Amino acid sequence: MSISRRRTLLKVVILGDSGVGKTSLMNQYVHNKFSQQYKATIGADFVTKEIQMEDRLVTLQIWDTAGQERFQSLGVAFYRGADCCVLVYDVNVLKSFDTLDNWHDEFLKQANPVDPSSFPFILLGNKVDIDGGNSRVVSEKKAKEWCLSRGNIPYFETSAKEAYNVDAAFLCVAKTALANEHDQDIYFQNIPEAVSETEQRGGGCAC
Amino acid sequence: MQEPELHDLSDDSDYAASQLQQQQELKSMSRTDSGKKGGDNEPDGAEIVFVKDNVTIHPTQFASERISGRLRLIKHGALLFMTWIPYKEKTDCTAQSSSSNTKLSERDRNLYTIRAVPVTDIRSIRRHTPTFGWQYLIIVLSSGLAFPPLYFYNGGVREFLATLKQHVFLVRSADDANVFLVNDFQDPLQRSLSSLELPRAVSISNSSSTPTLASSAAQNDNSERTDDGSSSISQYGGRHGQKVHDPARDLSIQVLEKFSLVTKFARETTTHLLREIQNDGFLANDTKKQSQPLTNDNHETGLDDAQTVPNEISVTPDPLEFDKLTLVWGQPRQPPLGSEEWATFLDAEGRILDSKSLRKRIFYGGLEHQIRNEVWKFLLGYHEYDSTYAEREYLASVKKADYETLKSQWQSISPAQARRFTKFRERKGLIEKDVVRTDRSASFYDGDDNPNVTLLRNILLTYSFYNFDLGYCQGMSDLLSPILFVMKDESESFWCFVSLMERLGPNFNRDQNGMHSQLFALSKLVELLDSPLHNYFRQNDCLNYFFCFRWVLIQFKREFDYEKMMRLWEVLWTHYLSEHFHLYVCVAILKKHRAKIMGEQMDFDTLLKFINELSGHIDLDVTLRDAEALCVCAGENGAACIPPGTPASLPIETELLYPLQDENDV
Repeated sequence: MSISRRRTLLKVVILGDSGVGKTSLMNQYVHNKFSQQYKATIGADFVTKEIQMEDRLVTLQIWDTAGQERFQSLGVAFYRGADCCVLVYDVNVLKSFDTLDNWHDEFLKQANPVDPSSFPFILLGNKVDIDGGNSRVVSEKKAKEWCLSRGNIPYFETSAKEAYNVDAAFLCVAKTALANEHDQDIYFQNIPEAVSETEQRGGGCAC
Repeated sequence: MQEPELHDLSDDSDYAASQLQQQQELKSMSRTDSGKKGGDNEPDGAEIVFVKDNVTIHPTQFASERISGRLRLIKHGALLFMTWIPYKEKTDCTAQSSSSNTKLSERDRNLYTIRAVPVTDIRSIRRHTPTFGWQYLIIVLSSGLAFPPLYFYNGGVREFLATLKQHVFLVRSADDANVFLVNDFQDPLQRSLSSLELPRAVSISNSSSTPTLASSAAQNDNSERTDDGSSSISQYGGRHGQKVHDPARDLSIQVLEKFSLVTKFARETTTHLLREIQNDGFLANDTKKQSQPLTNDNHETGLDDAQTVPNEISVTPDPLEFDKLTLVWGQPRQPPLGSEEWATFLDAEGRILDSKSLRKRIFYGGLEHQIRNEVWKFLLGYHEYDSTYAEREYLASVKKADYETLKSQWQSISPAQARRFTKFRERKGLIEKDVVRTDRSASFYDGDDNPNVTLLRNILLTYSFYNFDLGYCQGMSDLLSPILFVMKDESESFWCFVSLMERLGPNFNRDQNGMHSQLFALSKLVELLDSPLHNYFRQNDCLNYFFCFRWVLIQFKREFDYEKMMRLWEVLWTHYLSEHFHLYVCVAILKKHRAKIMGEQMDFDTLLKFINELSGHIDLDVTLRDAEALCVCAGENGAACIPPGTPASLPIETELLYPLQDENDV
């Protein structure tokens, strides 16, 4: 496997409505921290995290963008070259779920990947901790139906605040992004995709 | 316009004399000249071999701030010295209007005075002959220090050079006919390329448009005569659009020259000079401040001595490399304007008689915090400068009632109505999400159920009804937060915010045109002021300047601590040098880090990260001085980079302010 002993950079873009928790998810994953006092993201920023995947070192470059639709036209600069797109909605806010179609399509339009139909997305339903789940307005079933209709997108329910399912979700992101990279690179097509962890076959990562 | 009594017509005779190029004639004329003025108390044994009056420097773009003086070449024994001594204040009646003004220009005068520089210290002299405007010279010392351009209002450039040639070895640069090397005994070509710091591309392209001495005497004569008596307006206003040849090319030369970007050495020299000349407390205080950033610069550039400059260059062979040094042009920052001095700007009824002096004062020093809530209202345009106390008091009460009316528009929406009013609910939701994450670490906004956070919400929601088409957009809460913090009053904050949004509203347009026009203007300014950096951005696909998006959208709100940010804002809001001073601030910061950006070959991603992480690490005072220098340098060519109506200019009235589209957005 010496051929794969190289450093890989995977670019991941997080999208979703303002206030669904994009920055929080990113910071929880990378810094294991949660703050109530994040500022609304202006423009874009990214953080990186190195993870060991099988026998290779992967650098995840996670991009966090402003959530207001008014800033979508900037996407063209920030989405370019992405290996995976993470869509986030707030399970307590219906609108943030309804706009997923828009984010999904807008991303494909602006990132303009080689094969839009197979470009990897992942959906996160965030803030499941709020009010013990009593205030949620989007059911897991509804979210999974949407994922199915969009080409069987992996789905995770998360809480950035409680650090619930965040690592699992981003691990899936890394794998999905890596797989996508393999598909585009014939030299890596035969590398086995052994899934060693067991935590969420039911949780949604199909890779 | 300056020193009109000295606008004699000696110009023509100067030229006639210089054309003869005869030493004796020149000398005799000089003697006559100096004899005529009299009062030159040179020590015994000194001989004045050249004197020219009305040689002027332009510290800023404003005609009223130009400093005229007398240029002389003095021979003392075997040595030749050059001096430029500004005239005394009394001849300049325009600067008498206020005491602070006078003080300032006096300090400028001292700052720029050239005291007996041995000509052997001069490395090169660059002559510039604009099609319109005065001829001027840039004198570069071997230390790397360059003096400000010396404008020869009365002509005499060639005479000066001819005189010099009689005393020192003066040779024309092989690759630029307008550059004269002094005491250069090396291969002139090599020297001009390696150490003269002239951009090759510019000098090559320039050679075609540069008239040589021999062939263009008439033309020079002509242009100089044309402009000699013309007012400053023609220099800075009327010239627009009249240019025959490529202004960009011209400008890059000008910028190169005007930037006497000077090292630690130079700044210390001027600081030293200041300390020597004027020992009152104000200045001593100022110089202390001034020397502080030097240590930072030093650390950053690793420069200990001006002499090491040429060898330290590692990033690019481009001659504009000296950008990495600190500009000397920006004036020293002043202490903030306090309440006592503020009172002097007001007449008995509360009118501000000289708003320009006030804005200038704030531009250079900012405001003490306790008067911000009064002065910001003028800067933002909520109060008229010529309004009285009574009028403002009346306005406040009327505006308070207006605000309450506007506020009641959304307050009266019942829950049942809100259920059927999606746009309102969404807008309110967006605002409520943002106010709880706006400056919560500041004590004014921290803690649960902070009433000031509620005020932020109320004002933003009211604004989104006042300007329903624009609505609410992220970033607005950042702009409002300091205003509320300063005003402490809901209605006053609202109206100040409204005034600010008159200018910055287009930043938040749905089509983003306000942002795009600013980022476009920024790219043009960098092209003008730092073409190597521009080329680097172009090659690396960074010309969209999205990495400056946050800077521009919310006026550097997130880049400084709260106090510094307020200081920057009040400086920007003076619109003293430019309505677009924030763009020059962008250029100044980028230039400060150009060596790192280019040296580390940053791509777009890395650059964005780098810029984001500069937050909290930008030295405001140094940045403001650099930005001032850049703004002055760019002059009208800089202004020409910025399309009309670009924020923070007021929008062009004929435009539809906020095009309606995008149903989904709130």
